[in-house]
Amino acid sequence: MQIQMNEFLFAMILTELEDAVGKENCSTRAIDKVTHSVDYYWLSRMWADRGCRMPEADFVVCPKDATEVSKVLKIANYYKLPVTTWGAGGGTQGGAIPVAGGIVLDTKRMNQIYEVNTEGMYIECGTGAIYKHIEWAANEVGKATMHYPSSLTCSTVGGFLAHRGIGVVSTKYGKIDDMVLKMEVVLPNGDIIETSPAPKHAAGPDLNQLFIGSEGTLGIITKAQIRIFDQPEERRFRGFLFQDMHGAFEASRELLQKFKPSVMRLYDEAETASLIKKIVGVERKGAFMNVAYEGVKEMVDVEEKILLETFKKYGAEDLGSEYGEKWWKEKITFFYPGHMMDIPQCFGTMDTIAPYGTIEKIYWAMKNAIETNFPQAKFIAHFSHWYEWGAMIYDRFIVDGKDVPKDPVEALRLHQAIWTCGVRTAIANGGVVNDHHGVGIKLGRLMKEQYGPAMQVFEGIKKQLDPNGIMNPFKLGL
Amino acid sequence: MIMSEKSKQHVDSCRFCWMCHHICPIGNATGQERNTARARALGISLVNREAIELEEIMDNIYECCTCGACVHDCITGWDPVMFTKETRLQAALEDKLPSYINTLVDNCLETGNAYGKTALCDKLTAAIAAHSAKTDILFYLGVDARYMACEQAVKAITVLEKAGVNFTVLADEAPSGSQLDFLIGAANETKEQMNAANAVFAGFDTVVFYDPNDAKTVKQIYKEYGVEGDYKAVTYTSFVADLLKNGKLEAKNSGKAVVFQDPYQLSRDLEETEEAREIITAYAVLGEMLLNRKETVWAGNILMAQYIPDVMKMVANRRLSNVKSIGQDTIVTACVSEYVSLKSVEQDDVTVLSLEDLILG
Repeated sequence: MQIQMNEFLFAMILTELEDAVGKENCSTRAIDKVTHSVDYYWLSRMWADRGCRMPEADFVVCPKDATEVSKVLKIANYYKLPVTTWGAGGGTQGGAIPVAGGIVLDTKRMNQIYEVNTEGMYIECGTGAIYKHIEWAANEVGKATMHYPSSLTCSTVGGFLAHRGIGVVSTKYGKIDDMVLKMEVVLPNGDIIETSPAPKHAAGPDLNQLFIGSEGTLGIITKAQIRIFDQPEERRFRGFLFQDMHGAFEASRELLQKFKPSVMRLYDEAETASLIKKIVGVERKGAFMNVAYEGVKEMVDVEEKILLETFKKYGAEDLGSEYGEKWWKEKITFFYPGHMMDIPQCFGTMDTIAPYGTIEKIYWAMKNAIETNFPQAKFIAHFSHWYEWGAMIYDRFIVDGKDVPKDPVEALRLHQAIWTCGVRTAIANGGVVNDHHGVGIKLGRLMKEQYGPAMQVFEGIKKQLDPNGIMNPFKLGL
Repeated sequence: MIMSEKSKQHVDSCRFCWMCHHICPIGNATGQERNTARARALGISLVNREAIELEEIMDNIYECCTCGACVHDCITGWDPVMFTKETRLQAALEDKLPSYINTLVDNCLETGNAYGKTALCDKLTAAIAAHSAKTDILFYLGVDARYMACEQAVKAITVLEKAGVNFTVLADEAPSGSQLDFLIGAANETKEQMNAANAVFAGFDTVVFYDPNDAKTVKQIYKEYGVEGDYKAVTYTSFVADLLKNGKLEAKNSGKAVVFQDPYQLSRDLEETEEAREIITAYAVLGEMLLNRKETVWAGNILMAQYIPDVMKMVANRRLSNVKSIGQDTIVTACVSEYVSLKSVEQDDVTVLSLEDLILG
């Protein structure tokens, strides 16, 4: 049961929250509420662009540690107030938007770097730390986090953990869920727990992996030990041009049985002819692929030999290192205003992942579904995270501003329809609802279609841990 | 809200861009989401769309220190400082400034400084009096040094004396306009102050600016506002570095390990990064923080401490933590305002020195 807020109760709750986190860290000011109502989700941006106010929290609180988080959650549970956790707001799925009002819990005061441990090779930090800041801390001791998504500078450690983020060197170093050793979590009832001292064990299911990806619906991750790595002696790049995507998939699958490059990015013809041409300067027809390999020099020499031999077998044209180096230098440029899609365009990234047996089929099915059902939409894609068993599609739709309804509700309808069509097609062909952007409110409705009866496992855990349903309501389909 | 088309374009680009989220010295210190360029742009864009009142965002507009870290970090050249200053100007024109800003503006107009001070400390008065005679070189102290850090001002004068420089210091300095520019941007009152100061500066061949903020204002902002003068404007750091090079100042290296706090006005705005380092390496052993030169992190100032003192302490503390995280224990500043800010949170394990402290020993 959600309470009926009134002026008296509002004032009472405010004093309790101020007592929990300090008056200066508890706000009801318009600027704080507005700021926490628009994240990177297209719908929230469109809504604001049309001059509309998104749903706002009643209270914005900024606790400094797990103890203060615990106090806030106890208050929220008592009054049955929704709690939406906010990292830095860089998420694309609306996961941080307080659609049900209540409390926004901003984690950024929990930005302490507690320990840089070069023996155990980890940094222990508060989850409100911007990831770039822990990269700086690693760099100060000559190490690196090797987690380099385009959102490195605009997302918190907790934000990446909440939706299972990934960076550009993931093929060698792993996804965020591979980079965590241990975590501290505050449960919805306010209890503070720690996961096991080591991430690999035989002591039951993995608590880390239960909370990673839970998007604030099961608790709030407040501290984490994040892996760091030696800086590579060498990082080399090689650009290739494939005349057909199938050859690229075959070449990449074979390569991954031999060694793991750090970067592997294959762009379809449409994206090669648009973004890659504009930013990297490749003006050739075909599918551009960039591969980076790194580590100890002697091993890099061997890996380069294997790469060139393998790709040659599949007809790849070797473009040398220039384009790859340019890509590395510009890898974040793609996401700046003026290069990235922006309002008034309607756009989205429907990333999915699947084994090699189905990934190509999914690509063509999604491309066909979008282009057939929404002729006003352009479909472009690249394949940016690769494993021995499969790969992910980073596929995007773009609708020109002139084709986007001015009425915000009508624009919302168009956006929802394209997303539903694209993601349903991915699921129907053996893909997963999302690869690394998460679910949020954007894709919650499709979680049951993805999991079927398996969804009851998530629902059961949710019901047990959060019986009042206060934690990030209407997200993750829970 | 009336706003230039250029600023509107920048606002609408920044409002949904998170790329400089990591770089704001205020945001990193407070952990507040509103202390980001995108939050500020979002607020302004909603004012422009009449979804929120200008008054509701003005506190946040004044939480920006205009250090330009976000501008420098932006690959595509968007400029949050520009639209922040323009919003301040517009709020002033619409009489929608927060009351605490109105007080500072009134002080600037009445006394020439935001602090409302009129008297100098005795030591500084005496030091200035010794250089009241007209020469070719004007040594311009600026309001922060004169009224809020007089000991540093005296030391700065002593350094020039040690080098045998023949210079003038004015008992009554015309305000450079830097404070009004920060508070209300390109208002008529700001330009009037600048023009008045410029007329004074024009009576000298060379004007040496002690405060990097004044140096930036005169060398950069004056041009933007069409205030031109036929005199040579130089920074104190470059002037002292030349004295060292020319053998006018004697230096003995103490072997002390220090790091340098680049003032953003020197490093980012005036592209002067090596002069202070030349001075420091003559007297000490220079180490570097990870974020140095154009990537410097602002360490607080005196003006903003008038209305958000706790935030300034957080900002300064965070910068001191950068010193400690690389195993250093002494930071040298070249900006009097940052010196005062850092000194206010000085800890047992970190010492804050000015360039003058280092030179004079």
